[in-house]
Amino acid sequence: MNMNVSTVSQAANAAPVDRSPILSLVNVSKTYVRGKLVALTDVSFDIGQGEFVVILGPSGAGKSTMLRCINRLAQPTGGQVFLRGQEITDAPRSLRKARREIGMVFQQFNLVTRLSVMTNVLSGRLSYRSTWRSLFYSFTREDRAIALECLEMVALGHKAFQRADTLSGGEQQRVAIARALAQQPKIILADEPVASLDPKIARQVLDYLRDVSQRLGISVICNLHQINFAREYAQRIIGLSQGKLIFDGPPGALTDDIISQIYGTRVESSGE
Amino acid sequence: MSSPYQAAINQGLIREAAWRHRRLAVRLSVAAGFVVLLWLSASRINLSLKNVIQGVPSMVDFFGRMFPPDLSSLMPLLGPMVETVQIAAWGTVLAVVASAPLALLAAHNTSPHPSVYYVTRLFLNLLRSINELIYALLLVSAVGLGPFPGVLAIALHATGMLAKFVAEEIEHVNRGPVEALQAAGAGRMQIILFGIMPQVLPAVVGYILYRFDVSIRSATVLGLVGAGGLGFTLITSMKMFKYHETATSILLIILLIWAADAISSHLQKKIL
Repeated sequence: MNMNVSTVSQAANAAPVDRSPILSLVNVSKTYVRGKLVALTDVSFDIGQGEFVVILGPSGAGKSTMLRCINRLAQPTGGQVFLRGQEITDAPRSLRKARREIGMVFQQFNLVTRLSVMTNVLSGRLSYRSTWRSLFYSFTREDRAIALECLEMVALGHKAFQRADTLSGGEQQRVAIARALAQQPKIILADEPVASLDPKIARQVLDYLRDVSQRLGISVICNLHQINFAREYAQRIIGLSQGKLIFDGPPGALTDDIISQIYGTRVESSGE
Repeated sequence: MSSPYQAAINQGLIREAAWRHRRLAVRLSVAAGFVVLLWLSASRINLSLKNVIQGVPSMVDFFGRMFPPDLSSLMPLLGPMVETVQIAAWGTVLAVVASAPLALLAAHNTSPHPSVYYVTRLFLNLLRSINELIYALLLVSAVGLGPFPGVLAIALHATGMLAKFVAEEIEHVNRGPVEALQAAGAGRMQIILFGIMPQVLPAVVGYILYRFDVSIRSATVLGLVGAGGLGFTLITSMKMFKYHETATSILLIILLIWAADAISSHLQKKIL
Protein backbone atom coordinates (compact mmCIF):
# COMPACT_ATOMS: atom_id res chain seq x y z
CA MET A 1 0.00 0.00 0.00
CA ASN A 2 1.38 3.33 -1.05
CA MET A 3 1.75 5.55 2.00
CA ASN A 4 2.91 8.56 0.05
CA VAL A 5 -0.51 9.52 -1.22
CA SER A 6 -0.84 13.18 -0.43
CA THR A 7 -3.76 13.90 1.80
CA VAL A 8 -5.77 16.95 2.52
CA SER A 9 -4.45 17.44 6.04
CA GLN A 10 -0.82 16.90 5.04
CA ALA A 11 -1.17 19.50 2.31
CA ALA A 12 -2.77 21.96 4.70
CA ASN A 13 -0.07 21.59 7.34
CA ALA A 14 2.67 22.02 4.78
CA ALA A 15 1.34 25.31 3.44
CA PRO A 16 2.97 28.46 4.83
CA VAL A 17 0.74 30.82 6.79
CA ASP A 18 -0.54 33.53 4.45
CA ARG A 19 -1.19 36.98 5.86
CA SER A 20 -2.62 38.54 2.69
CA PRO A 21 -6.36 38.26 2.12
CA ILE A 22 -7.62 35.11 0.43
CA LEU A 23 -10.64 36.88 -0.94
CA SER A 24 -11.39 40.54 -1.60
CA LEU A 25 -14.66 42.07 -2.65
CA VAL A 26 -14.40 45.64 -3.92
CA ASN A 27 -17.65 47.56 -4.40
CA VAL A 28 -19.49 44.51 -5.62
CA SER A 29 -22.97 45.34 -6.84
CA LYS A 30 -25.69 43.25 -8.40
CA THR A 31 -28.81 44.53 -10.09
CA TYR A 32 -31.48 42.73 -12.07
CA VAL A 33 -33.93 43.80 -14.76
CA ARG A 34 -31.70 46.53 -16.21
CA GLY A 35 -31.03 48.15 -12.89
CA LYS A 36 -34.56 48.18 -11.53
CA LEU A 37 -34.02 45.44 -8.96
CA VAL A 38 -31.07 46.12 -6.68
CA ALA A 39 -29.75 43.08 -4.86
CA LEU A 40 -26.34 44.33 -3.72
CA THR A 41 -24.82 47.79 -3.45
CA ASP A 42 -21.09 48.43 -3.06
CA VAL A 43 -20.22 45.51 -0.85
CA SER A 44 -16.55 45.47 0.09
CA PHE A 45 -14.57 43.33 2.51
CA ASP A 46 -11.47 41.15 2.75
CA ILE A 47 -11.28 37.63 4.07
CA GLY A 48 -8.07 36.30 5.55
CA GLN A 49 -6.84 32.74 5.58
CA GLY A 50 -8.65 30.52 8.03
CA GLU A 51 -11.25 33.11 9.07
CA PHE A 52 -14.74 31.95 9.98
CA VAL A 53 -17.04 34.74 8.89
CA VAL A 54 -20.80 34.73 9.30
CA ILE A 55 -22.96 36.87 7.03
CA LEU A 56 -26.00 37.83 9.04
CA GLY A 57 -29.17 39.23 7.59
CA PRO A 58 -32.86 38.61 6.97
CA SER A 59 -34.15 36.84 3.85
CA GLY A 60 -33.89 39.03 0.79
CA ALA A 61 -30.94 40.95 2.22
CA GLY A 62 -28.70 39.71 -0.56
CA LYS A 63 -26.69 37.10 1.36
CA SER A 64 -27.17 34.36 -1.25
CA THR A 65 -26.59 36.76 -4.11
CA MET A 66 -23.35 37.92 -2.57
CA LEU A 67 -22.07 34.41 -2.08
CA ARG A 68 -23.00 33.47 -5.63
CA CYS A 69 -21.21 36.56 -6.95
CA ILE A 70 -18.03 35.19 -5.41
CA ASN A 71 -18.00 31.93 -7.35
CA ARG A 72 -19.94 33.52 -10.20
CA LEU A 73 -23.04 31.41 -10.09
CA ALA A 74 -24.33 34.97 -10.35
CA GLN A 75 -22.51 37.62 -12.32
CA PRO A 76 -21.76 40.89 -10.49
CA THR A 77 -22.97 43.90 -12.40
CA GLY A 78 -20.47 46.17 -10.67
CA GLY A 79 -17.25 45.96 -8.69
CA GLN A 80 -14.56 43.31 -8.56
CA VAL A 81 -13.80 40.04 -6.86
CA PHE A 82 -10.21 39.04 -6.15
CA LEU A 83 -9.17 35.53 -5.25
CA ARG A 84 -5.65 35.36 -3.83
CA GLY A 85 -4.86 38.61 -5.53
CA GLN A 86 -6.17 37.58 -8.94
CA GLU A 87 -9.30 39.17 -10.31
CA ILE A 88 -11.95 36.59 -11.06
CA THR A 89 -14.92 38.85 -11.75
CA ASP A 90 -14.96 38.47 -15.50
CA ALA A 91 -12.34 36.06 -16.81
CA PRO A 92 -14.12 33.09 -18.40
CA ARG A 93 -11.02 31.01 -18.97
CA SER A 94 -9.92 30.70 -15.38
CA LEU A 95 -13.44 30.18 -14.04
CA ARG A 96 -13.03 26.45 -13.52
CA LYS A 97 -9.68 26.94 -11.83
CA ALA A 98 -11.08 29.65 -9.58
CA ARG A 99 -14.10 27.54 -8.68
CA ARG A 100 -11.77 24.70 -7.80
CA GLU A 101 -10.44 26.79 -4.93
CA ILE A 102 -13.90 27.75 -3.72
CA GLY A 103 -16.06 25.05 -2.24
CA MET A 104 -19.79 25.57 -1.75
CA VAL A 105 -22.34 24.09 0.60
CA PHE A 106 -26.02 24.66 -0.12
CA GLN A 107 -29.13 24.83 2.00
CA GLN A 108 -30.71 21.94 0.08
CA PHE A 109 -27.50 19.86 0.22
CA ASN A 110 -27.64 19.37 -3.56
CA LEU A 111 -26.18 15.86 -3.58
CA VAL A 112 -26.89 13.54 -6.46
CA THR A 113 -29.20 11.34 -4.44
CA ARG A 114 -29.06 8.24 -6.61
CA LEU A 115 -25.27 8.07 -6.45
CA SER A 116 -23.26 6.70 -3.55
CA VAL A 117 -21.90 8.92 -0.84
CA MET A 118 -18.40 8.15 -2.12
CA THR A 119 -19.18 9.18 -5.69
CA ASN A 120 -20.77 12.39 -4.46
CA VAL A 121 -17.61 13.30 -2.56
CA LEU A 122 -15.46 12.24 -5.51
CA SER A 123 -17.36 14.66 -7.73
CA GLY A 124 -15.58 17.36 -5.78
CA ARG A 125 -12.40 16.17 -7.52
CA LEU A 126 -13.82 16.63 -11.03
CA SER A 127 -12.12 19.96 -11.60
CA TYR A 128 -8.79 18.13 -11.34
CA ARG A 129 -9.67 15.45 -13.88
CA SER A 130 -9.93 15.55 -17.64
CA THR A 131 -13.22 15.10 -19.47
CA TRP A 132 -11.93 11.89 -21.07
CA ARG A 133 -11.28 10.26 -17.77
CA SER A 134 -14.66 11.32 -16.42
CA LEU A 135 -16.34 9.67 -19.40
CA PHE A 136 -15.44 6.38 -17.73
CA TYR A 137 -16.32 7.66 -14.27
CA SER A 138 -12.67 7.10 -13.40
CA PHE A 139 -10.70 8.77 -10.63
CA THR A 140 -7.11 8.38 -9.45
CA ARG A 141 -6.07 6.53 -6.34
CA GLU A 142 -5.15 9.87 -4.84
CA ASP A 143 -8.70 11.09 -5.48
CA ARG A 144 -10.15 8.12 -3.65
CA ALA A 145 -7.78 8.58 -0.72
CA ILE A 146 -8.72 12.24 -0.48
CA ALA A 147 -12.44 11.46 -0.70
CA LEU A 148 -12.23 8.87 2.06
CA GLU A 149 -10.21 11.22 4.24
CA CYS A 150 -12.79 13.99 3.79
CA LEU A 151 -15.54 11.57 4.76
CA GLU A 152 -13.61 10.59 7.87
CA MET A 153 -13.29 14.24 8.81
CA VAL A 154 -17.09 14.48 8.93
CA ALA A 155 -17.30 11.03 10.58
CA LEU A 156 -19.15 9.37 7.70
CA GLY A 157 -16.48 7.00 6.40
CA HIS A 158 -18.60 4.02 7.40
CA LYS A 159 -21.40 5.13 5.09
CA ALA A 160 -19.22 5.71 2.04
CA PHE A 161 -20.86 3.09 -0.17
CA GLN A 162 -24.49 3.76 0.63
CA ARG A 163 -26.74 5.68 -1.68
CA ALA A 164 -26.84 9.32 -0.69
CA ASP A 165 -30.61 9.38 -0.28
CA THR A 166 -30.42 6.78 2.50
CA LEU A 167 -28.80 9.35 4.77
CA SER A 168 -30.54 11.80 7.08
CA GLY A 169 -30.56 15.53 6.39
CA GLY A 170 -27.71 16.31 8.73
CA GLU A 171 -25.64 13.46 7.33
CA GLN A 172 -26.28 14.58 3.77
CA GLN A 173 -25.06 18.06 4.63
CA ARG A 174 -21.91 16.57 6.11
CA VAL A 175 -21.38 14.67 2.86
CA ALA A 176 -21.81 17.99 1.07
CA ILE A 177 -19.12 19.45 3.31
CA ALA A 178 -16.88 16.49 2.50
CA ARG A 179 -17.49 17.10 -1.20
CA ALA A 180 -16.42 20.70 -0.80
CA LEU A 181 -13.37 19.63 1.18
CA ALA A 182 -12.37 17.18 -1.53
CA GLN A 183 -11.70 20.14 -3.78
CA GLN A 184 -8.92 21.11 -1.36
CA PRO A 185 -10.28 24.63 -1.44
CA LYS A 186 -8.98 27.80 0.13
CA ILE A 187 -12.50 28.98 0.93
CA ILE A 188 -15.80 27.34 1.61
CA LEU A 189 -18.98 29.28 0.94
CA ALA A 190 -21.91 28.02 2.97
CA ASP A 191 -25.31 29.34 1.91
CA GLU A 192 -27.73 28.83 4.82
CA PRO A 193 -26.26 25.37 5.42
CA VAL A 194 -28.44 24.57 8.42
CA ALA A 195 -31.72 26.29 7.59
CA SER A 196 -33.35 22.93 6.77
CA LEU A 197 -32.10 21.18 9.92
CA ASP A 198 -33.36 21.08 13.48
CA PRO A 199 -31.23 22.99 16.06
CA LYS A 200 -29.34 20.01 17.49
CA ILE A 201 -28.34 18.66 14.08
CA ALA A 202 -27.65 22.20 12.90
CA ARG A 203 -25.12 22.60 15.70
CA GLN A 204 -23.47 19.34 14.75
CA VAL A 205 -23.06 20.47 11.17
CA LEU A 206 -21.74 23.89 12.17
CA ASP A 207 -19.34 22.17 14.56
CA TYR A 208 -17.93 20.13 11.69
CA LEU A 209 -17.67 23.22 9.53
CA ARG A 210 -15.80 25.14 12.20
CA ASP A 211 -13.63 22.16 12.96
CA VAL A 212 -12.40 21.69 9.40
CA SER A 213 -11.89 25.40 9.06
CA GLN A 214 -9.56 25.44 12.04
CA ARG A 215 -7.81 22.19 11.26
CA LEU A 216 -7.15 22.85 7.61
CA GLY A 217 -6.91 26.63 7.61
CA ILE A 218 -9.83 27.00 5.21
CA SER A 219 -11.69 30.30 5.30
CA VAL A 220 -15.42 29.91 5.71
CA ILE A 221 -18.05 32.43 4.70
CA CYS A 222 -21.33 31.24 6.16
CA ASN A 223 -24.74 32.79 5.52
CA LEU A 224 -26.96 32.50 8.55
CA HIS A 225 -30.16 34.13 9.64
CA GLN A 226 -30.02 32.71 13.16
CA ILE A 227 -28.44 35.29 15.41
CA ASN A 228 -27.56 32.83 18.17
CA PHE A 229 -25.62 30.59 15.80
CA ALA A 230 -23.82 33.63 14.42
CA ARG A 231 -22.74 34.63 17.89
CA GLU A 232 -21.64 31.09 18.75
CA TYR A 233 -19.60 30.27 15.68
CA ALA A 234 -18.37 33.44 14.03
CA GLN A 235 -14.97 34.95 14.55
CA ARG A 236 -16.31 37.87 12.59
CA ILE A 237 -19.80 38.94 11.60
CA ILE A 238 -20.78 40.89 8.51
CA GLY A 239 -24.26 42.32 8.67
CA LEU A 240 -26.16 42.72 5.43
CA SER A 241 -29.39 44.64 5.06
CA GLN A 242 -31.17 45.36 1.81
CA GLY A 243 -28.02 44.72 -0.19
CA LYS A 244 -25.76 46.96 1.86
CA LEU A 245 -23.00 46.02 4.27
CA ILE A 246 -23.87 47.74 7.51
CA PHE A 247 -21.74 45.92 10.04
CA ASP A 248 -18.33 44.28 10.02
CA GLY A 249 -16.83 43.23 13.31
CA PRO A 250 -16.45 40.59 16.03
CA PRO A 251 -19.56 39.02 17.59
CA GLY A 252 -18.88 40.95 20.78
CA ALA A 253 -19.50 44.23 18.97
CA LEU A 254 -22.91 43.11 17.77
CA THR A 255 -25.30 45.18 19.88
CA ASP A 256 -29.08 44.95 19.95
CA ASP A 257 -29.15 48.25 18.17
CA ILE A 258 -27.12 46.94 15.25
CA ILE A 259 -29.25 43.81 15.10
CA SER A 260 -32.36 45.97 14.84
CA GLN A 261 -30.72 47.86 12.01
CA ILE A 262 -29.90 44.65 10.18
CA TYR A 263 -33.36 43.18 10.62
CA GLY A 264 -35.15 46.50 10.33
CA THR A 265 -37.17 45.82 13.45
CA ARG A 266 -36.86 45.54 17.19
CA VAL A 267 -35.33 42.11 17.80
CA GLU A 268 -34.65 40.28 21.06
CA SER A 269 -30.99 39.39 20.79
CA SER A 270 -31.43 36.28 22.94
CA GLY A 271 -34.11 34.89 20.61
CA GLU A 272 -33.79 32.41 17.72
CA MET B 1 -84.94 29.09 9.91
CA SER B 2 -83.58 32.40 8.82
CA SER B 3 -79.83 33.03 8.74
CA PRO B 4 -78.07 36.40 9.06
CA TYR B 5 -76.65 35.63 5.63
CA GLN B 6 -80.10 35.01 4.09
CA ALA B 7 -79.90 37.81 1.53
CA ALA B 8 -76.52 36.65 0.24
CA ILE B 9 -77.76 33.02 0.17
CA ASN B 10 -80.81 33.88 -1.91
CA GLN B 11 -78.81 35.95 -4.32
CA GLY B 12 -76.16 33.22 -4.51
CA LEU B 13 -78.74 30.56 -5.32
CA ILE B 14 -79.96 32.56 -8.30
CA ARG B 15 -76.41 33.13 -9.57
CA GLU B 16 -75.50 29.48 -9.03
CA ALA B 17 -78.52 28.27 -11.00
CA ALA B 18 -77.66 30.57 -13.88
CA TRP B 19 -74.06 29.37 -13.83
CA ARG B 20 -75.16 25.74 -13.78
CA HIS B 21 -77.53 26.23 -16.71
CA ARG B 22 -74.85 28.06 -18.66
CA ARG B 23 -72.39 25.24 -18.07
CA LEU B 24 -74.92 22.61 -19.15
CA ALA B 25 -75.69 24.54 -22.33
CA VAL B 26 -71.99 24.69 -23.21
CA ARG B 27 -71.51 20.96 -22.63
CA LEU B 28 -74.60 20.05 -24.65
CA SER B 29 -73.52 22.20 -27.59
CA VAL B 30 -70.01 20.73 -27.58
CA ALA B 31 -71.46 17.22 -27.50
CA ALA B 32 -73.89 18.09 -30.28
CA GLY B 33 -71.04 19.50 -32.32
CA PHE B 34 -69.10 16.26 -31.92
CA VAL B 35 -72.10 14.21 -32.95
CA VAL B 36 -72.58 16.29 -36.08
CA LEU B 37 -68.89 15.97 -37.00
CA LEU B 38 -68.93 12.23 -36.47
CA TRP B 39 -72.11 11.80 -38.48
CA LEU B 40 -70.69 13.84 -41.34
CA SER B 41 -67.52 11.75 -41.45
CA ALA B 42 -69.36 8.45 -41.11
CA SER B 43 -70.61 8.56 -44.66
CA ARG B 44 -67.16 9.46 -46.05
CA ILE B 45 -65.52 6.45 -44.46
CA ASN B 46 -68.34 4.12 -45.46
CA LEU B 47 -69.31 3.08 -41.96
CA SER B 48 -71.90 0.45 -42.34
CA LEU B 49 -73.19 -2.12 -39.89
CA LYS B 50 -74.93 -3.86 -42.78
CA ASN B 51 -71.57 -4.51 -44.49
CA VAL B 52 -70.10 -5.96 -41.32
CA ILE B 53 -73.00 -8.36 -40.86
CA GLN B 54 -72.91 -9.31 -44.53
CA GLY B 55 -69.21 -9.97 -44.22
CA VAL B 56 -69.47 -12.40 -41.31
CA PRO B 57 -69.82 -15.52 -43.50
CA SER B 58 -66.62 -14.62 -45.37
CA MET B 59 -64.77 -14.08 -42.10
CA VAL B 60 -65.98 -17.44 -40.80
CA ASP B 61 -64.93 -19.08 -44.06
CA PHE B 62 -61.47 -17.51 -43.87
CA PHE B 63 -61.06 -18.50 -40.26
CA GLY B 64 -62.11 -22.04 -41.10
CA ARG B 65 -59.40 -22.30 -43.73
CA MET B 66 -56.77 -21.33 -41.15
CA PHE B 67 -58.01 -23.73 -38.49
CA PRO B 68 -56.46 -26.09 -37.42
CA PRO B 69 -53.03 -24.42 -37.48
CA ASP B 70 -50.32 -26.39 -39.24
CA LEU B 71 -48.08 -27.40 -36.37
CA SER B 72 -45.53 -29.07 -38.61
CA SER B 73 -44.47 -25.62 -39.74
CA LEU B 74 -43.80 -24.66 -36.11
CA MET B 75 -40.12 -25.64 -36.10
CA PRO B 76 -39.21 -23.87 -39.35
CA LEU B 77 -40.96 -20.75 -38.03
CA LEU B 78 -38.74 -20.54 -34.98
CA GLY B 79 -35.99 -19.06 -37.12
CA PRO B 80 -38.16 -16.16 -38.32
CA MET B 81 -39.37 -15.71 -34.75
CA VAL B 82 -35.82 -15.21 -33.54
CA GLU B 83 -35.25 -12.94 -36.50
CA THR B 84 -38.17 -10.75 -35.42
CA VAL B 85 -36.64 -10.37 -31.98
CA GLN B 86 -33.25 -9.60 -33.50
CA ILE B 87 -34.75 -6.94 -35.76
CA ALA B 88 -36.39 -5.32 -32.75
CA ALA B 89 -33.22 -5.60 -30.66
CA TRP B 90 -30.92 -4.06 -33.23
CA GLY B 91 -33.43 -1.39 -34.14
CA THR B 92 -33.65 -0.41 -30.48
CA VAL B 93 -29.88 -0.52 -29.93
CA LEU B 94 -29.22 1.74 -32.91
CA ALA B 95 -31.90 4.11 -31.66
CA VAL B 96 -30.27 4.26 -28.21
CA VAL B 97 -26.87 5.08 -29.70
CA ALA B 98 -28.29 7.77 -31.98
CA SER B 99 -30.55 9.25 -29.31
CA ALA B 100 -27.84 9.94 -26.76
CA PRO B 101 -26.24 12.92 -28.51
CA LEU B 102 -29.52 14.04 -30.07
CA ALA B 103 -31.26 14.20 -26.71
CA LEU B 104 -28.49 16.39 -25.30
CA LEU B 105 -28.84 18.75 -28.25
CA ALA B 106 -32.63 18.81 -27.92
CA ALA B 107 -32.74 19.84 -24.27
CA HIS B 108 -32.70 23.50 -23.25
CA ASN B 109 -30.21 23.06 -20.45
CA THR B 110 -27.67 21.01 -22.38
CA SER B 111 -28.00 22.37 -25.88
CA PRO B 112 -25.02 24.51 -27.00
CA HIS B 113 -27.19 27.09 -28.76
CA PRO B 114 -30.91 27.82 -29.19
CA SER B 115 -30.70 27.33 -32.96
CA VAL B 116 -29.21 23.87 -32.44
CA TYR B 117 -32.05 23.15 -30.04
CA TYR B 118 -34.74 24.15 -32.56
CA VAL B 119 -33.19 22.31 -35.50
CA THR B 120 -32.74 19.13 -33.46
CA ARG B 121 -36.32 19.24 -32.17
CA LEU B 122 -37.57 19.74 -35.72
CA PHE B 123 -35.52 16.81 -36.94
CA LEU B 124 -36.78 14.57 -34.13
CA ASN B 125 -40.40 15.53 -34.84
CA LEU B 126 -39.81 14.55 -38.43
CA LEU B 127 -38.47 11.16 -37.41
CA ARG B 128 -41.37 10.59 -35.06
CA SER B 129 -44.15 11.54 -37.41
CA ILE B 130 -43.29 9.02 -40.12
CA ASN B 131 -44.57 5.59 -39.24
CA GLU B 132 -42.19 2.62 -39.28
CA LEU B 133 -44.25 0.96 -41.98
CA ILE B 134 -43.65 3.85 -44.35
CA TYR B 135 -39.93 3.85 -43.56
CA ALA B 136 -39.86 0.11 -44.23
CA LEU B 137 -41.64 0.49 -47.57
CA LEU B 138 -39.16 3.13 -48.68
CA LEU B 139 -36.15 1.23 -47.40
CA VAL B 140 -37.20 -2.11 -48.89
CA SER B 141 -37.29 -0.52 -52.32
CA ALA B 142 -33.89 1.05 -51.60
CA VAL B 143 -31.89 -1.77 -49.98
CA GLY B 144 -34.03 -4.78 -50.88
CA LEU B 145 -36.10 -7.36 -48.97
CA GLY B 146 -34.99 -8.84 -45.68
CA PRO B 147 -34.51 -7.88 -42.06
CA PHE B 148 -32.09 -4.97 -42.62
CA PRO B 149 -34.68 -2.41 -43.81
CA GLY B 150 -36.81 -3.48 -40.85
CA VAL B 151 -33.96 -2.70 -38.47
CA LEU B 152 -33.44 0.72 -40.01
CA ALA B 153 -37.15 1.53 -40.05
CA ILE B 154 -37.50 0.73 -36.37
CA ALA B 155 -34.29 2.60 -35.54
CA LEU B 156 -35.39 5.77 -37.32
CA HIS B 157 -38.77 6.00 -35.67
CA ALA B 158 -37.52 4.89 -32.25
CA THR B 159 -34.72 7.48 -32.34
CA GLY B 160 -37.30 10.23 -32.72
CA MET B 161 -39.39 8.91 -29.84
CA LEU B 162 -36.51 8.08 -27.52
CA ALA B 163 -34.49 11.23 -28.05
CA LYS B 164 -37.51 13.43 -27.37
CA PHE B 165 -38.34 11.51 -24.22
CA VAL B 166 -34.79 11.72 -22.90
CA ALA B 167 -34.61 15.42 -23.77
CA GLU B 168 -37.78 16.05 -21.75
CA GLU B 169 -36.29 14.13 -18.82
CA ILE B 170 -33.07 16.11 -19.07
CA GLU B 171 -35.00 19.36 -18.97
CA HIS B 172 -36.81 18.27 -15.81
CA VAL B 173 -33.80 17.32 -13.70
CA ASN B 174 -33.29 18.85 -10.30
CA ARG B 175 -31.01 21.84 -10.93
CA GLY B 176 -29.56 21.86 -7.41
CA PRO B 177 -26.98 19.09 -7.91
CA VAL B 178 -26.13 20.54 -11.31
CA GLU B 179 -25.39 23.89 -9.70
CA ALA B 180 -23.31 22.23 -7.03
CA LEU B 181 -21.13 20.61 -9.69
CA GLN B 182 -20.79 23.93 -11.48
CA ALA B 183 -19.70 25.54 -8.26
CA ALA B 184 -17.12 22.78 -7.78
CA GLY B 185 -15.50 23.64 -11.10
CA ALA B 186 -16.72 20.66 -13.12
CA GLY B 187 -16.77 20.99 -16.91
CA ARG B 188 -19.90 20.72 -19.08
CA MET B 189 -19.49 17.06 -19.93
CA GLN B 190 -18.64 16.19 -16.33
CA ILE B 191 -21.79 17.94 -15.17
CA ILE B 192 -23.83 15.92 -17.65
CA LEU B 193 -22.18 12.66 -16.59
CA PHE B 194 -22.33 13.18 -12.83
CA GLY B 195 -25.27 15.52 -12.39
CA ILE B 196 -27.77 14.89 -15.15
CA MET B 197 -27.34 11.31 -16.29
CA PRO B 198 -27.76 9.70 -12.84
CA GLN B 199 -31.01 11.62 -12.43
CA VAL B 200 -32.57 10.58 -15.75
CA LEU B 201 -31.22 7.04 -15.94
CA PRO B 202 -34.06 5.06 -14.29
CA ALA B 203 -36.81 6.68 -16.36
CA VAL B 204 -34.75 6.40 -19.53
CA VAL B 205 -33.94 2.72 -19.05
CA GLY B 206 -37.61 2.04 -18.36
CA TYR B 207 -38.54 3.81 -21.57
CA ILE B 208 -35.94 1.88 -23.55
CA LEU B 209 -37.47 -1.37 -22.32
CA TYR B 210 -40.90 -0.09 -23.31
CA ARG B 211 -39.61 0.88 -26.75
CA PHE B 212 -38.10 -2.59 -27.20
CA ASP B 213 -41.49 -4.06 -26.47
CA VAL B 214 -43.12 -1.75 -29.01
CA SER B 215 -40.39 -2.59 -31.53
CA ILE B 216 -41.19 -6.27 -31.35
CA ARG B 217 -44.78 -5.54 -32.27
CA SER B 218 -43.60 -3.27 -35.09
CA ALA B 219 -41.13 -5.86 -36.32
CA THR B 220 -43.92 -8.39 -36.78
CA VAL B 221 -45.90 -5.92 -38.87
CA LEU B 222 -42.92 -4.78 -40.94
CA GLY B 223 -42.51 -8.31 -42.20
CA LEU B 224 -45.72 -7.74 -44.14
CA VAL B 225 -43.92 -5.34 -46.45
CA GLY B 226 -40.96 -7.65 -46.87
CA ALA B 227 -38.76 -6.74 -43.96
CA GLY B 228 -38.21 -10.22 -42.60
CA GLY B 229 -39.29 -12.12 -39.49
CA LEU B 230 -42.68 -13.62 -38.64
CA GLY B 231 -44.64 -10.97 -40.54
CA PHE B 232 -42.87 -12.01 -43.72
CA THR B 233 -43.75 -15.67 -43.28
CA LEU B 234 -47.31 -14.63 -42.52
CA ILE B 235 -47.79 -12.68 -45.72
CA THR B 236 -45.90 -15.23 -47.81
CA SER B 237 -48.02 -18.11 -46.58
CA MET B 238 -51.17 -16.07 -47.20
CA LYS B 239 -50.21 -15.27 -50.77
CA MET B 240 -49.58 -18.98 -51.40
CA PHE B 241 -52.97 -19.81 -49.88
CA LYS B 242 -51.32 -21.93 -47.20
CA TYR B 243 -53.72 -20.64 -44.58
CA HIS B 244 -52.85 -23.28 -42.00
CA GLU B 245 -49.31 -21.98 -41.96
CA THR B 246 -50.63 -18.44 -41.70
CA ALA B 247 -52.46 -19.47 -38.55
CA THR B 248 -49.23 -20.81 -37.09
CA SER B 249 -47.46 -17.56 -37.83
CA ILE B 250 -50.24 -15.63 -36.15
CA LEU B 251 -50.09 -17.90 -33.11
CA LEU B 252 -46.37 -17.42 -32.78
CA ILE B 253 -46.74 -13.65 -33.13
CA ILE B 254 -49.27 -13.61 -30.31
CA LEU B 255 -46.98 -15.77 -28.18
CA LEU B 256 -43.96 -13.61 -28.88
CA ILE B 257 -45.70 -10.34 -28.09
CA TRP B 258 -47.23 -11.73 -24.93
CA ALA B 259 -43.81 -12.92 -23.75
CA ALA B 260 -42.14 -9.63 -24.67
CA ASP B 261 -44.82 -7.66 -22.82
CA ALA B 262 -44.46 -9.78 -19.72
CA ILE B 263 -40.65 -9.60 -19.61
CA SER B 264 -40.59 -5.91 -20.41
CA SER B 265 -43.06 -4.88 -17.71
CA HIS B 266 -41.36 -7.16 -15.18
CA LEU B 267 -37.98 -5.55 -15.87
CA GLN B 268 -39.46 -2.07 -15.80
CA LYS B 269 -40.94 -2.72 -12.38
CA LYS B 270 -37.61 -3.95 -11.10
CA ILE B 271 -35.85 -0.81 -12.27
CA LEU B 272 -38.23 1.68 -10.72
